[in-house]
Amino acid sequence: SVEGDAIKVYVRVRPPSEGTVFIDGDQGLCLSVLSSHTVRLHSKPEPKIFTFDYVANMETTQESVFSSVAKNIVESCMNGYNGTIFAYGQTGSGKTFTMMGPSDSDNFTHSLRGVIPRSFEYLFFLIEREKEKAGSGKSFLCKCSFIEIYNEQIFDLLDSASSGLFLREHIKKGVFVDGAVEQVLSSAAEAYQVLTMGWRNRRVASTSMNRESSRSHAVFTITVESMEKNNEIVNIRSSLLNLVDLAGSERQKDTHTEGLRLKEAGNINRSLSCLGQVITALVDVGNGKQRHICYRDSKLTFLLRDSLGGNAKTCIIANVHPGSRCFGETLSTLNFAQRAKLIKNKAVVNEDTQGNVT
Amino acid sequence: KMAAGGGWAVMCEKFRAARTLSAVESRKDPETEPYRSKYSARALLQEVKQLLSAAEEGGEARLLAVRRAVLEYELGVNHTDTEELSAGEEHLQRCTQLLEPHRLSPDCVSLYIQAQNNLGILWSERDEIKTAQTYLESAEALYNQYMKEDGNPPLDPSEHFMAEEEKLTDQERSKRFEKAYTHTLYYLAQVYQHLEMIEKAAQYCHTTLKRQLEYCGYYPVEWALNAATLSQYYLSKQCFMESRHCLAAASVIFSQAGQVPSAEDNETEQDQQDLRQRKAEIARCWIKYCLNLLQSARKLLEDNIGELDPDRQLELKAQRRKEEDEKEKGRKKAVLFGTSDICDSVLAMEEKVSSMHPLDFQEAREIFLVGQNYVQEAKGFFQVDGYVTDHIEIIQDHSALFKVLAFFEEDYERRCKMHKRRIDMLEPIYADLNPQYYLLISRQLQFELADTYYEMMDLKVAIGNRLEELDSHTIKKINSLAQLAIKYYELFLDSLRNPDKVFPEELEEDVLRPAMVAKFHIARLYGKLITSDSKKQLENMQASLEYYTFLVDYCEKYPDAVRAVETELELSKEMVGLLPTRMERLRAKLCPFI
Repeated sequence: SVEGDAIKVYVRVRPPSEGTVFIDGDQGLCLSVLSSHTVRLHSKPEPKIFTFDYVANMETTQESVFSSVAKNIVESCMNGYNGTIFAYGQTGSGKTFTMMGPSDSDNFTHSLRGVIPRSFEYLFFLIEREKEKAGSGKSFLCKCSFIEIYNEQIFDLLDSASSGLFLREHIKKGVFVDGAVEQVLSSAAEAYQVLTMGWRNRRVASTSMNRESSRSHAVFTITVESMEKNNEIVNIRSSLLNLVDLAGSERQKDTHTEGLRLKEAGNINRSLSCLGQVITALVDVGNGKQRHICYRDSKLTFLLRDSLGGNAKTCIIANVHPGSRCFGETLSTLNFAQRAKLIKNKAVVNEDTQGNVT
Repeated sequence: KMAAGGGWAVMCEKFRAARTLSAVESRKDPETEPYRSKYSARALLQEVKQLLSAAEEGGEARLLAVRRAVLEYELGVNHTDTEELSAGEEHLQRCTQLLEPHRLSPDCVSLYIQAQNNLGILWSERDEIKTAQTYLESAEALYNQYMKEDGNPPLDPSEHFMAEEEKLTDQERSKRFEKAYTHTLYYLAQVYQHLEMIEKAAQYCHTTLKRQLEYCGYYPVEWALNAATLSQYYLSKQCFMESRHCLAAASVIFSQAGQVPSAEDNETEQDQQDLRQRKAEIARCWIKYCLNLLQSARKLLEDNIGELDPDRQLELKAQRRKEEDEKEKGRKKAVLFGTSDICDSVLAMEEKVSSMHPLDFQEAREIFLVGQNYVQEAKGFFQVDGYVTDHIEIIQDHSALFKVLAFFEEDYERRCKMHKRRIDMLEPIYADLNPQYYLLISRQLQFELADTYYEMMDLKVAIGNRLEELDSHTIKKINSLAQLAIKYYELFLDSLRNPDKVFPEELEEDVLRPAMVAKFHIARLYGKLITSDSKKQLENMQASLEYYTFLVDYCEKYPDAVRAVETELELSKEMVGLLPTRMERLRAKLCPFI
């Protein structure tokens, strides 16, 4: 259908931290949820209304977030589609809670577990059901990898000794991280174990190499491969489920979210390096003429190229903190989320209008 | 006098220390105290300011004012660096006020320009680009006025707190002054881009690049990529001479990159790989240049059915002869890159390919061959194993080069062979490609293959029409080409279906036109199939009618679609009117007694 391919955007408002008491009339809150699709931001002079595919208010349960956000994506993954779930928001906006669950507890059994463990459960539930239905004719192979992108470099979280991996493309398999460890999974519990192990690596790395977790993107990928035997014909289908924890949005100030700022040259010799960005922007608005731009996308967009438009199911969960102190960050998160709805793969079918019609 | 001299030495010392803290030490500050050195520098500057006002008595007023301005400037930059914009603005404003009367004198002009640069940055951080623009444009104007009226290398701001014997050479002064002005232009390029004054932004990018070359402030690879990208801007504006100049300069400067030994000499494999990739990227910009030049020439030369118009050809050739000389000189002067030695190499590079529209096959072929060489070079790096998307894009360009060259070819058989070459490069890559990951490219290939077969079929029909009678070989050829075209159009249309294999009720905007064109072409193709079997013929007509009807019905249901397919729709309506009668007649012939 027409809106089928667009990225779905969900906004979740976390409750303010415990101990904060608000006087009636929502003093101290910078937004209010109007309906399950709209948010009003108390901006001045005029309040702003934002509309999204789904807005989860402070009371929304983990289960209900999962069913409205992820269920559908996991299902289409079983049908051979690639799916991607992004979490976006400033540090402290509840990203980890939404995706993983309460920190420092066994999230796999906890009643407040997040989208990721629930997705694992649901995925393996669907696999088991398929297997029962099809009998011995159908088998599944699940593998996962877990990588981190920091400073435009790729690290393997399942192999802490490795560093500096590269993105490559394969004509049959699409984009992949060359040399990333792939672990075979046989159950949801196993998947969760691999995830938490990798997550821990991420934290370890953050102290030993002085990087902060909130400055890196983490991508957990499950490959689901099904093999169906029908007489002599073997039918193999494979699809990916990407779970992406984006770097804290406040860290991206100096990249895309801030529009109008000039890039300073500073005093160092290698100074005018953003001139290339300016020129690229000029070429970008060119009028559909054939052109080549020398500068590559970021590693993250390249890896998820397929998820940003094309034939993949993608959703973004934008997490916001309602406190009025967070007004600036919340506004920028909501703006980002609104822009995300417009993301579509720009490549189009070249139809040369010349040539004879008659 | 002695005491003052001693005080002066202390001031200079503190000033120097502040600058070192700010520029060097601050980079090592811990994350928890990011501005530690900046704050120390600020304290020192304030001390100097106090010492200066203490020494005020009896000093020369102008000299004092200028020194104070230097301190205000440093304090202004310091405050903006530490995110205290309002305080920063105050200091910078005070600096320009103090300098206002002397801003055109050699000891002030550089400082004044730099203060304005910083005010420009400051206002942009407040998202007030227009205000930033006024500061930067006035800095630009001041530079020009100074160069016109004086032009001697002016004092660098740092020299105001230096002992006589440390002062800079004229050469160094000039270098720093020019650099400050280059920054003005670089900021202006950004300002114009933000204000969507695209042409002006491009012009300022170009001038910035030019000045980087002149004052040796560049890294070859980075510079070359910027120039190559700028060439693509000129392409979109159809400025082929400027585009070629940028590309030639990019290639020349890039070749320096390999010659300069790197700092540590033990270049990693990765660096080498990067360098090779950059070279291939520049090659791809050249491919686009050749392609655009050829396509633009085709536009000029084609008649109303898209064929080469010989009258127009003669006309354009005569016109070109007239214009050739004057044009080249006038346009070029303004944009030329580089000092004389670089300039010579760039000119030599330019001579390898024309920047004029090719007007006949011979000229077109020369440009095609240059483009084809760059295709080989680019493919050498962007191999399918590892670079699927890039590799296919290059192949698509190669195919497009053949397509536009075929336009200039008058012999239909040879033209057909050129299209066959396109098929031969596109078909195998399409067969290997997994549409699950490369849906869009896959669609592009399906459509292009379909179109190419369609074009070949048309050519064979045209060749056949010249014969007395269609021989069976030609008929077979036409039919098989038409079938293949139908096959690929159908594959394209199938790619639009949802997982349950249902064709979308309403087409998305980006596939609307191609989908409608595919339907329309299939309708025509069924009409072109040749058969002596009347029953078969009737079936083909029926199929044709169904596809034409699709267009008509769809546009009736979604009137917005009409804009995208006006010509096709008109013809489809006509056919929907005609075909049933023709089919009726054919049926009557088949069964004359009913």
